[in-house]
Amino acid sequence: MKAIRLAHKILRTLVRDRMYYPGRLLIDTFSIVARCGVLLVLYWYVFRLNNGIINNTTFIVAAWSMFFYFAFSVFRLRDISRAIMQDVQSGNIEVLFSKPISYLSYRMWWQVGEGLYPFLVISFFGAIILASIVGIPATMSTYVFIPTLVLVFLFGAILSLALYATVGLLAFWIEDVSPLFWIVDKAVMILGGSYLPVALFPNFMYKIALYSPFGASQFITHTVYGAWAIEWPVKIGIQIFWTFVFVIVVSILFAKARKKVSVNGG
Amino acid sequence: MNNDSIIVSSLSKRFSFPVKNQSAGWVKNLFVPEIKEIKAVDNISFSVKSGERVAFIGPNGAGKSTTIKMLTGILFPTAGSISVLGLDPAKDRKKLAYKIGTVFGQRSQLLPNLPLTDSLEFFGVMYDLSDKQIKIRIAELVELFNLGSFINQPVRKLSLGQRMRAEVASSLIHKPEIIFLDEPTIGLDVVAKKSLRDLLLKINNEEGTTIFLTSHDVGDIESLCSRTIVINHGTLVKDLPTQELARSFIREKYVDVTPEKTFDSFPELPSGLRYAVKEKNKITVVVDIEKITTQEALRKLLNVFEVDDIDVYNTSLEAVIRNMYESNPPRS
Repeated sequence: MKAIRLAHKILRTLVRDRMYYPGRLLIDTFSIVARCGVLLVLYWYVFRLNNGIINNTTFIVAAWSMFFYFAFSVFRLRDISRAIMQDVQSGNIEVLFSKPISYLSYRMWWQVGEGLYPFLVISFFGAIILASIVGIPATMSTYVFIPTLVLVFLFGAILSLALYATVGLLAFWIEDVSPLFWIVDKAVMILGGSYLPVALFPNFMYKIALYSPFGASQFITHTVYGAWAIEWPVKIGIQIFWTFVFVIVVSILFAKARKKVSVNGG
Repeated sequence: MNNDSIIVSSLSKRFSFPVKNQSAGWVKNLFVPEIKEIKAVDNISFSVKSGERVAFIGPNGAGKSTTIKMLTGILFPTAGSISVLGLDPAKDRKKLAYKIGTVFGQRSQLLPNLPLTDSLEFFGVMYDLSDKQIKIRIAELVELFNLGSFINQPVRKLSLGQRMRAEVASSLIHKPEIIFLDEPTIGLDVVAKKSLRDLLLKINNEEGTTIFLTSHDVGDIESLCSRTIVINHGTLVKDLPTQELARSFIREKYVDVTPEKTFDSFPELPSGLRYAVKEKNKITVVVDIEKITTQEALRKLLNVFEVDDIDVYNTSLEAVIRNMYESNPPRS
């Protein structure tokens, strides 16, 4: 009960914090419009050169897949790595360890709270704008779409937090996890469909995207593909498997890290 | 009845970390690094009674912050035992956190962008207080700490003095039985320091909160703490009432001598005396009371100089502490 109340308080506090500074929302929006918008224009051009279909995928599907990727990235769940690393490097972790909270769940809720407001605003308005410009793919009107979207989003968020928290916790051993973060983050971006929608991947790359935790954390981009109505149980199953694995990994790592804490000060 | 809030027995903490062996290759350094071990705290024991105000002092690297972090459950001891309010901090960190407050002078726990009131409410929820309890406690703290004039200001816009008052207030939101303060007055001006010390004395008197603080500021120790524990190189050097600290460690007295006219020369002083200040209008002589009595020193000085006025005084607590640190060189 206390955990739920605290999570609710974190979310409310951080959403209010973000609302105090609308400038930050504008920067986030501009960043998404710039990156996603440029890619969409390029894809529109490439699809037009190929009579509107590549690898059985239409531009509408590719555009929505990419939009889901960028909307999810606005959540900035990946930043939990940096937050943990900064806590460790600055010694600020001692402040949180002296409170009656679970450090990891506090950090995870904090990360969700940081991204919730821009995510809701950008997703809502972005979806309306995209729907009015390119339309809606057929899969989005099936009855499984909304419930599976919610599920795949939830497991994707938990998996992302656990995956990036694992990287962040390594700061207890190697202090600067930036190079490792870069590798993991690029793997997630590529296998999640940031540069190229997964539907356009060659077969072996698609298999890697399908079975790796990096790709699984971004299965939300698969929800608009034609095969989603059939493949969703397998894909959500893969996500649950990796979520389970990384929650265990992060818990073990944290238990070991707690004993390794050394903070500045004599 | 045992009213000890804190009981520490044979407490030790060692830190080990890899160091680069210059003569070894990178492969060896990566896979079989040389491990260096530091004894940050070495077999210390003490206890603190409920409601006591204790200063835990020592030079940089003495082990005081490490000890405070073990007492609050942040660090795990390598050996020995700790009981804080009947709990083992390493095993019962969360349970203990409900009963203690912590202030780390060099770190902020407040939410920088939001008004202070949001931080206080936030900590209230963190400590599982009901909305009504939070409201009542915030009102109490606002009055006690005089936060009213800036409670609605974003924390990042507060002055350092205001922020430190807010930090201490937020760590008291749950009425802790003990408050651990790690250098709470660092960086504050004299007025802000005095205000914070007065507030800490007030909560000690009114709420019976035990105060355990580390500080490099002698003013904190003198005006706030009735007892001082001195730690150096991880070992406990002294544990005694603060008033006795100066008395038992005085090795020197100071004598200010004002000349009848001016001092034209500064003759060599007898054994046990040395110049601290040599000016035309005043000299200060340090008397080593282990070598020479004050009476004998004054007699000798009066023989050497033609004196208009003379003033004898003890060394400051700061000098006493400095001498204590310096007389405990690092162990090899």
